[in-house]
Amino acid sequence: MRLKTSLLKEPKHKELLSCVGWTTADELYSCSEDHQILKWNLLTSETSLVVKLPEDIYPIDLQWFPKTIGGKKQTQAEIFVLTSTDGKFHLTSKMGRIEKSVEAHKGAVLAGRWNYDGTALITAGEDGQIKIWSKSGMLRSTLANQGSPVYSVAWGPDSDRILYTSGRQLVIKPLQPSAKVTQWKAHDGIILKVDWNSVNDLILSGGEDCKYKVWDSFGRLLYSSSSHDYPVTSLSWAPDGEVFAVGSFNTLRLCDKIGWSYALEKPNTGSVLSLAWSADGTQLAGACSNGHVIFAHVVEQHWEWKNFVITLTKRRTMQVRNMMNDAMDVLEFRDRVIKTSLAYGHLVVATSLQCYVYNSRNWNTPLIFDLKEGTVSFILQAEKHFLLVDGAGLYTFSYEGRLISSPKFPGMRADILNYQCVSLSNDTIAIRDKSDEKVILLFDALTGKPLSDGKPLTHKMEVVEIALDQCGPSTERRIALIDKNHDLYLTSVRHLGREPKICKIGSMVHSIAWNDAANILCGIQDNQFTVWYYPSVVFIDKELLPKTLYIKDGSEFSRAPHILNYVGTKVTLRQGDGSLVYSSVLPYPGLLHEYCTSARWEDALRLCRFAKNQALWACLAGMAMAYRELTAAEMAYAAIGELPRVQYINFIKDQPSKDSCLAHMLLFSGQVQEAEATLLQTGLIYQAIQMNMDLFSWERALELAVKHKTHVDTVLAYRLKFLQKFGRKEKNKRFLQYAEGVEVDWEKIQAKIEMELSKEREKAANASVRSSVAI
Amino acid sequence: MGPVAMAKDPLAEAGCYFDELNKLQVLEPDVSQKTSELKEECKEFVDKIGQFQKIVGGLIELVDELAKEAETEKMKAIGARNLLKSVAKQREAQQQQLQALIAEKKMQLERYRIEYEALSRVESEQNEFINQFILQK
Repeated sequence: MRLKTSLLKEPKHKELLSCVGWTTADELYSCSEDHQILKWNLLTSETSLVVKLPEDIYPIDLQWFPKTIGGKKQTQAEIFVLTSTDGKFHLTSKMGRIEKSVEAHKGAVLAGRWNYDGTALITAGEDGQIKIWSKSGMLRSTLANQGSPVYSVAWGPDSDRILYTSGRQLVIKPLQPSAKVTQWKAHDGIILKVDWNSVNDLILSGGEDCKYKVWDSFGRLLYSSSSHDYPVTSLSWAPDGEVFAVGSFNTLRLCDKIGWSYALEKPNTGSVLSLAWSADGTQLAGACSNGHVIFAHVVEQHWEWKNFVITLTKRRTMQVRNMMNDAMDVLEFRDRVIKTSLAYGHLVVATSLQCYVYNSRNWNTPLIFDLKEGTVSFILQAEKHFLLVDGAGLYTFSYEGRLISSPKFPGMRADILNYQCVSLSNDTIAIRDKSDEKVILLFDALTGKPLSDGKPLTHKMEVVEIALDQCGPSTERRIALIDKNHDLYLTSVRHLGREPKICKIGSMVHSIAWNDAANILCGIQDNQFTVWYYPSVVFIDKELLPKTLYIKDGSEFSRAPHILNYVGTKVTLRQGDGSLVYSSVLPYPGLLHEYCTSARWEDALRLCRFAKNQALWACLAGMAMAYRELTAAEMAYAAIGELPRVQYINFIKDQPSKDSCLAHMLLFSGQVQEAEATLLQTGLIYQAIQMNMDLFSWERALELAVKHKTHVDTVLAYRLKFLQKFGRKEKNKRFLQYAEGVEVDWEKIQAKIEMELSKEREKAANASVRSSVAI
Repeated sequence: MGPVAMAKDPLAEAGCYFDELNKLQVLEPDVSQKTSELKEECKEFVDKIGQFQKIVGGLIELVDELAKEAETEKMKAIGARNLLKSVAKQREAQQQQLQALIAEKKMQLERYRIEYEALSRVESEQNEFINQFILQK
């Protein structure tokens, strides 16, 4: 990935150029100290003079009024704010007419920024003050007052906080007066520029110590660059928050959001004083101190999937290389490529007007359909369909180009969604709510309607990353989520009645990815690369979970690796320094998943015997129990030496009726209530009571016995035996009360129990006879 | 003149003399001759001075021209020297830029190296797996 830059031979401005701003992806305004505002049209490569400003206006900063507000397009005439050295800011129309000039600061106004919905403007001055203004330029309040100039200011993602520079320090100040201010020393020199991205919530800063740094919104340092030769004079996030650009003297740099640098350009620009990305994130413009405007766009991006490597060679051209036979294909597009995704055998390319869908079997005939809104912010793919997100909403399309659904929810802000908070599978879309980060909204991918009566999934902590598994039936759909404490949880998406259990399966997890062909999860747990061969085992036999893990020593990865994808047996990770590393996972777990879902238990057993892998046996044990395949489960448990469980399985096998079997299997995976309900439903009252007694829940046993007027004496007898064994006295009032009227006679009780069991056996026999007759 | 003097010309006593053209004159004839000689010499002198001046003027002009030429040459030399200095600086700047680009490329190379190592590791793992698989069968 690198920047392709273009500079004119002669600068169009005679003096230092201080600021630039995009109106559309093809039109740029530039403002210089020669008092001219120029308009650059990239389609026709024409430059025209918009207006010549009065001689006393020396511009410093400009920003266009935000175009989209909560996904709705603005109808209002486009204006921009222009700040100048005489302490004023000017609201200026597209034609260059100054609609309003406002006296704002003593000394120069160094920055002027609209908030995201365009309801407020913030200005920062040389006098150390920060002021908030209404849209029309009325003073609302003075937010801060300090002794030194404020060189740069940025809005927080929700427009409820601002970030500004104070000498060598950065300050985050909420607009609410009582809220806590965060302030920290960020650089060893004066900080010249800051930026805050609304999608990934990360902060950028650069200053006279010639470094740029990346921070999270709590002020924790994520990356610090090495020292450059000259001060960092400008920086800017791309709108999607995936990359950012840094400008310095004769220097332009493209960096990943983690901070490492993709590419460096050394154009003859002088200091790059301001940088601006177009709204679709494809074009970058810089204001150069020698009067030039430098234009740049990103090329040589790569996408890989199995044996295909796709490279964006030019703005409108891609090259496809098939590594198996070295065949090359060239894909041409009518417009600029904005977003691309390659997965599940399909390439989806969104240009400014159209969407192209290619099948990896045929690169010649793409399927093309028009896009309503130009700026697609990201594409997510599943096996059967893909999700397009643009400023206005989310849309699922089939690979045939048919619009399947378009989920909507109140307070939706599609413009700030990112990969971490949206997940797609063949039947479900999950979105982490932005207003309440504990909540995950779930939608049916085929209808766009909310799942489970619109009741979202609520976790006890803020969720930072979500991922849906990709395989198996929709009823078994699971979602993995990482919360603020970096604990990894697993839960079901679709459920009947009761709230699903949210089970913890890992801690200190930083990045996760599901496999594309089986429900295998991989993640970075406490700097170790971990694969959960069968994460759902946590719902069946919790203690089996640690046995189904595959842990690779993390020492082969340097700091903070991030998982990009997990395709087949290959996991692709990106390290903190930007290098790609790969890790392979054994193919057996994937095969085992396949055998078990297709109920080929013999094959599954053979595979496990062949592989001689304890983790695999543990997976098989879990899967067999999930499918209630007791023979296979028994063998698997035996192989991993879980003898108590083998015994219990044998006990289940010996149960006189199917219902008892089922109940005990439920009990096996810890679902006590379900097990009891199953027994009671089929009228096996005694068995339910016995089960409760085995679990030492005496009160419940007694309650059942009293309710169904049977076996009260049994319960009392066992209770007495239990107390005697432990040398304790009855203290429970209810037991004391019932014990008065009941006489314990073991012989009678044994007889009764025997009778119950034979009754059950008889019933089961009858049922099987009946079913065989029916067949 | 002899006879006149010898005769003690009364005219001479009166201070009057005849010249060669027998015109009366007040000045003594040899004085007059010397005077005219002086006049001649003076004229000659003036002429010579004039010539000298002309020659000197030419010389001055020449020297001036030379001076001018020397001046321009000097300026040129200074310019060239400055240019040389600035070229050195330019080279330094260029070198710095190239160094920065090289550092960038080195980083990229390092990334590729790590990627290559990771891929080699995967390859050897897979080979090992294949061998094991074949052996077990």
